[in-house]
Amino acid sequence: MANKLDFLKQFDQLTALFPVQGNARAVIHNGLDFPTTRDEYWKYTRVTSLVESEYVRNVPNIDSIDAFRVPGLDAQYLVFVNGEYSKKFSDTEHIEGVEVTSMRLAEGERKQQMLQHLDQYIDSETQAFHALNTSYFLDGSFITVEKNTSLSKPICILNICAGKRQANNIRNLIVVGEMAKAEFISLHEGHENEGSFTNAVTELKVEQGGDASLYLIQNDGPESAHINAIQVVQEKDSQSKVVTITRTGKLVRNNLNFTVAGQGCESNMYGVYFTSDKQHVDNHTYVDHLVPNCNSNELYKGVMSDRSTGVFNGKIMVHRDAQQTNAFQSNQNILLSERATINTKPELEIYADDVKCSHGCTIGQLDEEAMFYLQTRGLGKAAAAKLLVQAFSGDVTAQITNDALRDMVEGFLHQKFEDQDA
Amino acid sequence: MSDFLRVKNLRASIEGNQILKGIDLEVNPGEVHAIMGPNGSGKSTLSSVLAGREDYEVEADEVTFLGKELLEMAPEERAREGLFLAFQYPVEIPGVSNINFLKAAINAKRHHQGLADITAKDFMVMVKEKQALVELKQSLANRSVNEGFSGGEKKRNEIFQMAMLEPRLGILDETDSGLDIDALKIVANGVNKLKSKDNSFILITHYQRLLNYIVPDFVHVLYNGKIVKSGDKSLALELEEKGYDWIINEVEAV
Ligand SMILES: Nc1ncnc2c1ncn2[C@@H]1O[C@H](COP(=O)(O)OP(=O)(O)O)[C@@H](O)[C@H]1O
Ligand SMILES: [Mg+2]
Repeated sequence: MANKLDFLKQFDQLTALFPVQGNARAVIHNGLDFPTTRDEYWKYTRVTSLVESEYVRNVPNIDSIDAFRVPGLDAQYLVFVNGEYSKKFSDTEHIEGVEVTSMRLAEGERKQQMLQHLDQYIDSETQAFHALNTSYFLDGSFITVEKNTSLSKPICILNICAGKRQANNIRNLIVVGEMAKAEFISLHEGHENEGSFTNAVTELKVEQGGDASLYLIQNDGPESAHINAIQVVQEKDSQSKVVTITRTGKLVRNNLNFTVAGQGCESNMYGVYFTSDKQHVDNHTYVDHLVPNCNSNELYKGVMSDRSTGVFNGKIMVHRDAQQTNAFQSNQNILLSERATINTKPELEIYADDVKCSHGCTIGQLDEEAMFYLQTRGLGKAAAAKLLVQAFSGDVTAQITNDALRDMVEGFLHQKFEDQDA
Repeated sequence: MSDFLRVKNLRASIEGNQILKGIDLEVNPGEVHAIMGPNGSGKSTLSSVLAGREDYEVEADEVTFLGKELLEMAPEERAREGLFLAFQYPVEIPGVSNINFLKAAINAKRHHQGLADITAKDFMVMVKEKQALVELKQSLANRSVNEGFSGGEKKRNEIFQMAMLEPRLGILDETDSGLDIDALKIVANGVNKLKSKDNSFILITHYQRLLNYIVPDFVHVLYNGKIVKSGDKSLALELEEKGYDWIINEVEAV
């Protein structure tokens, strides 16, 4: 299937639920093309096969989601299987000050409220995967946290990608009100999903003085692809934190954008990718500092084995008016195999003169002296490597304030090194 | 004749430079051996090779520890069999907790011996006891391995680890260097308490000073990759008095 329109045709019979979907369909059917490696921001990530494949559409019956839950996590779950809302598995208890709605089921005022925000923050005009998502998502989560509400437990949006050759457009819209505080987990799991493709878009708006944390956990399965976009928009004096943990996924591309539109904001982005086999994981981040007196802070770490490949591109744009910006960025990588590779690039564009910005990247191996030291104490190679890698990724995993979630992520690491020592 | 540690004609080179040129050494249970020698003579190389550092090309007629071929074992296997090296320059490992790693090390050894994990309670009792032995502050034991430790604290941490792992053979590579007299006494006292009829020590040292506190059964002089003289503790005193030049001259005259 070499033709974009042929590719799109397989989705065109899906009903458009909202006007923005019709608009996006027009855009993508006309001038907007999928990126190729000739596009600067897609130079190292080849997505052509994803948008030339034929997909099937079905929603397999799933008996239980226990295997997909975060062990021990106390959260309100919102569950989707192949992009369709699962009422059966979702928690519907009402929590004061929070509304959690399936987009498809939104009605009346709630729907009007949603339409005020939907597709207002993400760029579906020039970004083909965003437009693809907007065109064809079947449902999504719409979550609002009311003014002054502080959530006592996280909301977990669990997306299960189940079955072979599925194409799922996952959509989330989250609005955290003034002075509200909340944590969200976007958990992606997979089940026998060889050749499947997840294309997810999350719009997160943090209103004045709000505080939002979003944890993206990518564990889609080793034979599926995931393209993810998160657009954070911050109003005055707000805080946000996005932590991206990439575990499985044959091809993963993350686009994390922050638009910092009000003064006094703090934006934090952290990530760890543990790659193996022939996995390809690409993290592109972009912080757009439009106004003065904001801080952004970024730390991504890679632990790469086998023949996996990685890309990190962190762009920070400080506009002329954005004086007194503090922007820090760091990407650090440990290559556990000689055949693993990473392309890492900081990209600072600074048009203001009174700012503090720094960036750095490192690529290295495990410290041989430390390995030898630990081995002379009786630790096997894998156990020693595990300790060193844990220490290496520890300052990112420490950013996961929820204990159950952090335990799960640290468990990913344990499993990576398990069974390697006799 | 015991099968504790037997080293015959051990040679080691790195990048084409031969550093150890045929070492013979035999250590029996309960013995303390001192290996002395000027800087650059190969003392650390010898301890590294015995502990299993991979950087060297190693050859020997025989190297056995407790009857097993030492050179065929990975460093961790040597450790689990009861060999311990206190490093001359212990590395700092930020983010790895001293205590957690020691627990993992003890359990690795216990598994090797067919034992179950140490209980949390037994472990804590042991930590307390051994900390007291080397007068290591609790705050240090709980920190990242050697991170931000002073030189003396690093050395004491090595002895603390040794005490926790209860090796059959402890090799102390210049543990005394850079220690003030009080710290030296603490380290020596720690070693003396660990000494028994079943376990042995090789004390690598540049100075005779340490040997005032830990009395060796044998003293060997390592020079230019070879043991050029062996004797009892009086040899150390003689070296102290006359300096290494005396031996070097004697060797080179031959
Ligand atoms: N990694 C290495 N590469 C090259 N030469 C080395 C290396 N390690 C040690 N040497 C050399 O081997 C010799 C012995 O060093 P070492 O064993 O550290 O001596 P000592 O501990 O007795 O001071 C020295 O000449 C030193 O320069
Ligand atoms: Mg030395």
